[in-house]
Amino acid sequence: MPKIASFAELKAFGEQITADRDNEAILMTVCGGPGCQATRCHEVAAELRKELDSTSLNGKARLRVTGCHGFCEQGPIVVIDPSNIFYGQVKPADVKEIVDRTVRKGEVVERLLYVDPSTGKTVLTESEIPFYKAQTPTLLSQNRRVDPWSMEDYLAIGGYAALARVLAEIDPEKVISRIEASGLRGRGGGGFPTAAKWAACRAAHGEEKYVICNADEGDPGAFMDRGVLEGNPHSVLEGMIIGAWAIGANEGYIYVRNEYPMAVEHAKQAINQAREYGFLGEDILGSGMSFDIQVARGGGAFVCGESTALMASLEGKVGEPRPKDVHTVEHGLWNRPTTLNNVETWANVPAIINNGAAWFAGMGTDNSKGTKILALTGEVKNTGLVEVAFGTPIRTVVEEIGGGGRNGRAVKAVQTGGPSGGCLPESMFDLPVDFDVLWEKGSMIGSGGLVVMDENTCMVDIAKYFLKFLQDESCGKCVPCRIGVDRLLEIVTDITEGRGRPEQIELLKELGETVAQTALCGLGKTAPNPVLSTLRYFAEEYEAHINENRCPAGVCTELVEYSIDARTCNGCGACLKACPYAAIQGRKDKLHTIDLELCTKCGICLTTCNDNAVVVQ
Amino acid sequence: MANSLDTILEGRRSQPHQLIEVLQDVQHDHGYLSREAIDTVSESLGVPVMEVYRVANFYTAFTLEPRGKHVITLCKGTACHVRGANPLIEQALGLLDVGEGETTENGLFTLETVNCIGTCALAPVVVLNGVYHPLMTPARLRALINRVRREEEEGTGHA
Amino acid sequence: MHQNVDLVIDGSKISGRRGETVLDAALRYGICIPHLCHMPTLTDIGACRLCIVDHIKNGRSKVTTSCTLLVQEGMVIDANSERVRGLRRNIAELLVTQAPNSRAIQDIALRCGVTEPRYEFRSDDCVLCGRCVRACKEHYQAHAIGFVGRGQERHVEYPFREKPESCIMCRACVTLCPMSITPCDGPMKSGEGYFCGKCASLTQAPQYEAGDCTRCDLGEGFDCSGHL
Repeated sequence: MPKIASFAELKAFGEQITADRDNEAILMTVCGGPGCQATRCHEVAAELRKELDSTSLNGKARLRVTGCHGFCEQGPIVVIDPSNIFYGQVKPADVKEIVDRTVRKGEVVERLLYVDPSTGKTVLTESEIPFYKAQTPTLLSQNRRVDPWSMEDYLAIGGYAALARVLAEIDPEKVISRIEASGLRGRGGGGFPTAAKWAACRAAHGEEKYVICNADEGDPGAFMDRGVLEGNPHSVLEGMIIGAWAIGANEGYIYVRNEYPMAVEHAKQAINQAREYGFLGEDILGSGMSFDIQVARGGGAFVCGESTALMASLEGKVGEPRPKDVHTVEHGLWNRPTTLNNVETWANVPAIINNGAAWFAGMGTDNSKGTKILALTGEVKNTGLVEVAFGTPIRTVVEEIGGGGRNGRAVKAVQTGGPSGGCLPESMFDLPVDFDVLWEKGSMIGSGGLVVMDENTCMVDIAKYFLKFLQDESCGKCVPCRIGVDRLLEIVTDITEGRGRPEQIELLKELGETVAQTALCGLGKTAPNPVLSTLRYFAEEYEAHINENRCPAGVCTELVEYSIDARTCNGCGACLKACPYAAIQGRKDKLHTIDLELCTKCGICLTTCNDNAVVVQ
Repeated sequence: MANSLDTILEGRRSQPHQLIEVLQDVQHDHGYLSREAIDTVSESLGVPVMEVYRVANFYTAFTLEPRGKHVITLCKGTACHVRGANPLIEQALGLLDVGEGETTENGLFTLETVNCIGTCALAPVVVLNGVYHPLMTPARLRALINRVRREEEEGTGHA
Repeated sequence: MHQNVDLVIDGSKISGRRGETVLDAALRYGICIPHLCHMPTLTDIGACRLCIVDHIKNGRSKVTTSCTLLVQEGMVIDANSERVRGLRRNIAELLVTQAPNSRAIQDIALRCGVTEPRYEFRSDDCVLCGRCVRACKEHYQAHAIGFVGRGQERHVEYPFREKPESCIMCRACVTLCPMSITPCDGPMKSGEGYFCGKCASLTQAPQYEAGDCTRCDLGEGFDCSGHL
């Protein structure tokens, strides 16, 4: 492929691809996202490829393996276009039937269709599935239209057109003012206005400037950025190149978690392709602009999601944050002006240029514009990645898209924003997905994790969980975060283990406030949020633990005891085999009992027993 | 085939900022960071041993001791936590008789936990030698570990 | 030649030198903002957070550490607002319960108003202020000790736990350690959650005003205002 040297050449090339593909027949799309890979989608794809090669279908049907479609729960997913038929939980053995019936004869394989759990009805097409219907697809929906390894796919959906337009006709200042008009705010958690960051970095003195893409998605329960970077890496590159043009940067970095090997690989190959086509390197599209991007792998430290720690890590150092009294837009990487945005923010940039700032600003609320990708997980029927316009009520996400609680249990709360966010009770589900509204309520949208919790979740245990996480992941540099979080954890542990005292509630609040106000970096400042928000909305659960020595959800092991109900136990022996601590005794077909001395209350017998004979009290 | 230290360091000598990338490659190709490797990397990149040692200890990607033949990684992200990661961890700790991050005496298994691997929709998730096992239960984890043990006894095991 | 900027700390007009920190400027004027990890001639890292101040800007105030905040023209700093004193007290409480045997830290804690700590004492001794680490690296380029591990695991150590050849036995690490001041012989031991009161009598004497340099143990021992 020769380099594309101008806007006109790119346009002609894109049109050619589209024209070549116009008469293509049936397209089989297999989701190759991480969720589907875990359910062996590559075996399904390999079977499909074998069928295509071995039968006389060549030319009549095509196969495309894409990034994440979002509906991980249903993986592996195969969508047949143009009829848009959706097959979920497909096994390699199903492939022959799909090809024989649907691809050859246009028939439907009923048993592979999606069944809506709330109505019990089968759904024929992807677009009719309730999970997708309530979404506002802008970024994520592109995933299913491109093979992440194919530059042609990206060009066919109008890829790099925004870059070409910018280089040909939009001054850097005007690019920044368009981004400003769109109201785009950082998707990584802070929600800082993107244009303000760019403008400050552009104005900062320095020959060398950098742009960085933060793909160190460390929040537990979050996988939005991986979905975008793995599924559509060129959209991120295009955003970064446009940003570099606006700021005046000539080097860029994508800092990816090493736990995401596929994201590393996709980003690297996309960069190589972009270099081949002339979107990276010297004199991009004949504009005179020179810019290149490198991939750096993170070493596995949550704190490196913090901008100054990330930059230290890029410099090859320990990822310790430094005080931000001097801003990174002026003194960032190697002390030079640096703009850091996260994956989703960068991916929004080409869409804003293509569709206009007004289009983007037309979605969302007064101060939160556009869409947000959320990772919907936990005790909810439909899990996966979803994209909604800002302003969408949490209830819509949990109930319509998520389909409500799992296993018939009532949803109690959502945890948003990862370890920096907080827990909101069901009574507040009418609140919109919005940067500022959630912040005022003691939580945050953060990077977009949304973990649904039900009556079997103990909110004190959740606070403990996050404190433990933060204690592990704190870099340990400053006192409030290292010792303060540790003391918070000590107190919450006391409460979950029956040693809580009523006055500790106030101490938790006071210490939480102290950490929030005085910690060195954003990780520490937001670390008390999970404990403060659960104290605010689930005080009665803390009180039950402290005053009644009772864990209402039956989670805190020190406050419960396991036993086997003599009337229900049929002596099958499943629990006895399952117990890793040999705490269960009993002969075949006779009543089994738990030796409380040996029992660690791990709960394995509870999940093993098919007859609900294990009782937690 | 593991690349030698020399190959990994090629083109990166005297570039301190390459430290993490170099250590990633050493970890990947050699399975851990030996003391000799740390000394060589320190000298070649021009970074004090203290700093290399600090980096090696700070990031979870690095280990200073060889790992077991089979690596079991238990995710304890939020979604996995609310869907029962703790019983899985208990199960593995009990079955393998090791602590988190430790390797069994026979060198067969290393048990690791990770704070989130980003496959939250299919929680709880266990990774065995890089292969994801979604929607795990203690019983399936038991079966998985026992299968590896059996294969090892029969001599058909492969990492 | 220093370029000077005018700023106000706790109501006093001060002439700061461009490029210096608010803490350094305050100390030059004998205004003591409590501090622990700060050492003249070493890079400030903002680890102990004791030197927090209210930085008042456009009617809004922000809590920030004065050791990492550079002086600016027209700056208004409140180092003793009620909020800052409350927060500083809580930080000092965390420090003193972590290292209850350090006389220097006890002294600071008392001056910050900690009388009855609400946490159980631990005898960790090292509070990771990093004076030793920075002196080793910055004064002697020895890189013999450093912070190893993260979070709760963070501690000061030699590489591979063995004294390296680069250690020149200068003992700077020992002399600069807040623990090196002769420990208090009062009943400040693990499990006994109260102070002997000897240091308290020193700092709570009637003549002590918030902001006055009290010639505390830490400062006396380490030449706190040596750059006066």
